[in-house]
Parts: sequence; structure tokens; C-alpha cells
Amino acid sequence: MHTESKLSHYINKANSFVGRKFEKKIRVALLSSFTVNGLEEVLRVKSAEKNIECITYVASYSQYNQEILNQKSNLYKFSPDVTFLILDTRSILGNLFYFPYSLSLDQRKDFIEKKTEELCNLVKIFTNTSKSKLVITNFSIPTYSSYGIFETKTEFGFQDMIRDLNVKLSYAFKNIDPVYLYDFNGFVSLHGEKNVFDFQQFLFGDIKVSLDYIPYLSHDLMSYIIAVLGMSKKCIVLDLDNTLWGGIAGEDGFDGIKLGPTPPGNAYVEFQHHLLALHQRGIILAINSKNNPEDALKIMKDHPFMILREESFACLKINWDDKVSNMKEIADELNIGLDSMVFLDDDPINREYMRMNLSQVLTVELPQDPSHYSTLVQSMNEFNVLKITEEDAKRGQMYLQQHERKKLESSAPNLEEFLKQLELRISIKNADTFTIPRISQLTLKTNQFNLTTKRYQEEDIARFAKDEKYLVGCAQVEDKFGDNGITGVFIVQKDSSKEWSIDTFLLSCRVIGKEVEKGILGHIIKQAKKSGVERIKAQFIPSKKNKPIENFLPNCGFTKEGEHWIYLLNSTFKIPDYITVSAQ
Amino acid sequence: MSDRLYKLIARVMNVPVSDINDGTGPESIESWTSFNGYVLLYELENEFKVKFTLDEAIDVKTIADIKRHLKNHGVILND
Repeated sequence: MHTESKLSHYINKANSFVGRKFEKKIRVALLSSFTVNGLEEVLRVKSAEKNIECITYVASYSQYNQEILNQKSNLYKFSPDVTFLILDTRSILGNLFYFPYSLSLDQRKDFIEKKTEELCNLVKIFTNTSKSKLVITNFSIPTYSSYGIFETKTEFGFQDMIRDLNVKLSYAFKNIDPVYLYDFNGFVSLHGEKNVFDFQQFLFGDIKVSLDYIPYLSHDLMSYIIAVLGMSKKCIVLDLDNTLWGGIAGEDGFDGIKLGPTPPGNAYVEFQHHLLALHQRGIILAINSKNNPEDALKIMKDHPFMILREESFACLKINWDDKVSNMKEIADELNIGLDSMVFLDDDPINREYMRMNLSQVLTVELPQDPSHYSTLVQSMNEFNVLKITEEDAKRGQMYLQQHERKKLESSAPNLEEFLKQLELRISIKNADTFTIPRISQLTLKTNQFNLTTKRYQEEDIARFAKDEKYLVGCAQVEDKFGDNGITGVFIVQKDSSKEWSIDTFLLSCRVIGKEVEKGILGHIIKQAKKSGVERIKAQFIPSKKNKPIENFLPNCGFTKEGEHWIYLLNSTFKIPDYITVSAQ
Repeated sequence: MSDRLYKLIARVMNVPVSDINDGTGPESIESWTSFNGYVLLYELENEFKVKFTLDEAIDVKTIADIKRHLKNHGVILND
């Protein structure tokens, strides 16, 4: 578990950002049923550490109902991107917190039904009024019951009531996209009820999350901010010796390294299990290690207790080269930004060297004791995403296919021959329930081949999809090595019967360099011609990262007219012969 | 010891040490809100390894009050 600084550290630091420029910005509203002073300051400091300007609105004490119900409230005027609604068990139960058994069994059930309904209505009003994401906390289940050991014998007892409310809320919000239920009960379990709740602080100032734990709570809430801004990390780059196994492959040898069912080797096995679980949900793994490749690869292939195998890694840099150069090469080969990468290495000198040279990479302080490696990875909030899609789960497999493609690319005599042999197939799909989450995800996290870098939440994409003035679609790209999944997105605004304009056009880094963009653009042009459109307007909005798409428009026959690029539909657009495009 | 106390108060309230004297309290330091007042007591507890009672917490209006309560808990401050 990471150790947090004291609250006063954050409160002091929160005043020191005046005039500072930040890369990203987010508007955060805090609503609560109790005093959450301090939380706002910690969120601002933690955001600033990630180069985010966090502009906050803190609703008056316990005014959450009024703020949500009143459509003209300051909350809505503030227009938040993320709203945290932090509630507590005492407030929701009132006197029933002390006397739950003053109600009969049926009355208790009825009470929870009504509370669920009340909260769901409140959430509904909020989502109908605001475009903000809403993060609502579930309820901490108190460990104490006046019934003592008989509590668990009692049908729908005090603790069951809260548990049931939590389950009901969880189901109610599962399919409401902008609403997320934060497991506050889990937070209290993790840190301990007697730590999180301090009677003196509660009685002194209605503080229901004790001062020491406000930074931990903020750490968890930051997960949502990171995810909303599309700043989640995509790749973990690992050292090998004393990181994935104990000891040194080159010195201790295949049989001598610490890796197995008994301590201390089991700490590394445990750690590898956690990494594999992250890999299976879509986090890319890579190796950056100073080692003899033969020694390391033999362990990865043949060691009976290795959990991660060679195929678990999208990229292996096992050599005696400089770790910073290796890191840059990994980023290049995987086609992802250095700021999407996390570096885990047991050697403090390597870590410092990485921090000094590549500050964009998140270099994590690995604990000295490997038994804490797993908790460190578990407590990181940087891997959170708003949605885990089918594409995420397939990512590991896709990178393996990528290896095969690279091999073909290096053996093919020229690029055209390589592309011909790839047998590219593009299926254009409409924006629908199945594709909208992925379309939004791609707009949020694609940086390089992205014409305008406009970020859209799922609700935005759904709105465009319903609007006849928009053409929204995505492209699934397959080749002979496998399915890349949905890796292209376009949003076209139908300005008039004669002119359409491209609002968004992007490709995931996985499929850049294969002329997939021409296949997708060809589809848009075909649709425009069918509708009798005469010209397509586009704009290239340069960002720090979208250089790869800089020449896309002129290369495809667009000509510059002032700020915009224009494509006239009386010309012929040719999709390369080696690409097959089909539309839904 | 007073030095240690003053430095802590200055850090929590985000004011220079020179602004702090026995009479300092919420009226003279703008950042001394009721919440920050509680944060201060909490940090004092950690720093001097004492535990204030609820009565003591409510009673603190000035630095002199803090000194008095710390003394009651056996903390020796050399003025």
C-alpha cells in the first residue's frame, strides 16, 4: 500500500498553483452528506501533480439534494465534468442507524426499497440536467450492531439492509453510462472502519472520513479524473532480475533464481499473477532489462514457475543497451506515447536515470521488499478506464499478431508488397450500442493519427448517432494475421445538402502505416457522393502528438482553402487495390 | 519546544512563524477556519504524541490555549 502525506501537506500546497499553466483541465463538483473539507484541496494537488488543472465547486454542507433538484442551482451553473456525490450510512439511515429494529422486517425492506428509489430518482434528475459524469459512493456497512452475535441470524438485519441497498444501487447504475458507483464500503474495508471513522472527529465537526484518510479517498477518486481525461496508462515496462524473479539470471542461473511456491520466490509468482491479470484486461506488458537474452529467455520459456511467458510481452528489450534508449524503442515499436507507459525496476539508480531522462514515463518507486510489489500494483490508480471493451481484452493477442506483421514487413521487398501480402479487410460499422463505447474510448485516447483530437464521451457519440445531421461510424480492421478490432473512427457533420465536414477522423496506433485511412475516407466519399454532396471540408488541428496525420489531407487530394481543406467530389478517389472495404 | 510548536502552526496555517504569538487565533489568522483548527490539533497530537479530549479541542481559541493543554499532557515547552 502506498503511504499518503498528511492532509495539511495538501492543504498548504493547494495554494501554490496560482498562475501555473497546466496541460489538461477538469471541472469537478463535490457534493456530500457530511464535512469533506480537505478533499477539494487534495484533489487539486493530486491533479496538479499530473499536470491537470482541477477547478472545483464544493456544494454547501449537506445540500446535495437541493443542488441536484434545483435546475438553476450553482452546481449546474458550474457545469462540472465530474461530480462526486459522497454519502454516508448515518445520514441515509437517520435514527434507524441506531434503532434499525424499531421497524418490522417488512418495514425495513420497504425502507431500503424507498431509499433506493429516492437515490435513483436523484441520479436520474442529475443525469437529465447535467452532462457531467456522476460518481456516487455506496454505503459503508457498519461492523457494530446492537444485536451483536445475533445480527447475522436476523432476517434482513441492520447490516443486510445496507448490503442490500449497495447491491440495488450497483444494479441500478450498471447501465447508466455517465453514472459510476464508487465502492466506499470497500474503501472502509481496505483501510479499516476504526481508522476511517474517528468518533472525536465526527463529534467535533461531523467529519466522517478522518483527516488521515482523506488523501487516500482522494487517491481513489483521482481514478475517475484520470479515466475521464483519457490519461490512463496503457503499458507496464518491467525489469527482470529482482523484479519478475529474485536474484540475477546471469549469476544465479536458471535453477538459482528465486521463483516458486515457497518464500521468497512466491512473492514474485504472486506479483506475476497480478501483472497477468492486468495483461488479460488489456494492459500491454514489455521488458526492459540488462541481461543476456539467452539466459532470460530460457527462464521465460522453460521455468516451471514463470506465470508470464514470452508471449505475454508485446515487446522484449533484453540487452546491454541503455535503458532509456530501450524505453524509447519500446514506445516506437508499440506505437504508443511515453506518457502511456509505467516503468517498474527494483534498482533505484535505473529509476532515477529514467526519471531524469524520460519524465513522461511514470517511474514507480518499487518497494525494497518484493512481498509488497503486488500491493503496489493494486494501489495504482493509473490503469483505470471508464469502460473495458472487447478490444481491450484482445489486446495482448493483437500485439502478438503485430509481431508477425513486423516479421513480414521486414521480409517484404517494399511497402506495397508488404501491404498486398497483408490482405487488409476493413468493415465499416455504424455507431450503435455495441460500438459506441469503443468509438468514445478511441476519441478519448487516440493522440497520434487524430485529425482534430476532439474528445467525446459516450453520451456525445450517442447523441451524434441519433442526429441525422451526422454520419458516425467506425472501422474494424482485419488482416491475414488476425483481427485488430475497431481501430478507426469518423464523425462527419452534414452541414448542408452540398457540403459535409469531417469533425473527427482517427486511427488507433495499431493500424497506422497500412493505408487503412484511405479505405475509411473512400467510404465517406462514397456516402457523400450517394447523397449528392459536392464537397467535403476538413480541418487539421495540430497538437503536440498528431504529426503522423499532418499530411493525410493533402495526400488524399484535399486542397487548402483558408483554414480548411476541401475535397471536391467530382474527382475520383482511389482506395488501394490491396484493401477490401465493406460497409454494414 | 515553542519553536517546534510555532513551526508546526505556521506550516498548518500557511503563515510565517513571525505572525505567531500567544494571542494568535482564528481572529488574527485568516486561514484558521474551524476545519483547519481541527487539522492543527490533529497534527499537534501526532507531533507531540498526545491525545486531546473533545473538551480540550473545543476550548482552543488561541496559541496560549494550545500551550496550556499541551502542558496538561506533560509536554514541556521552553518559552
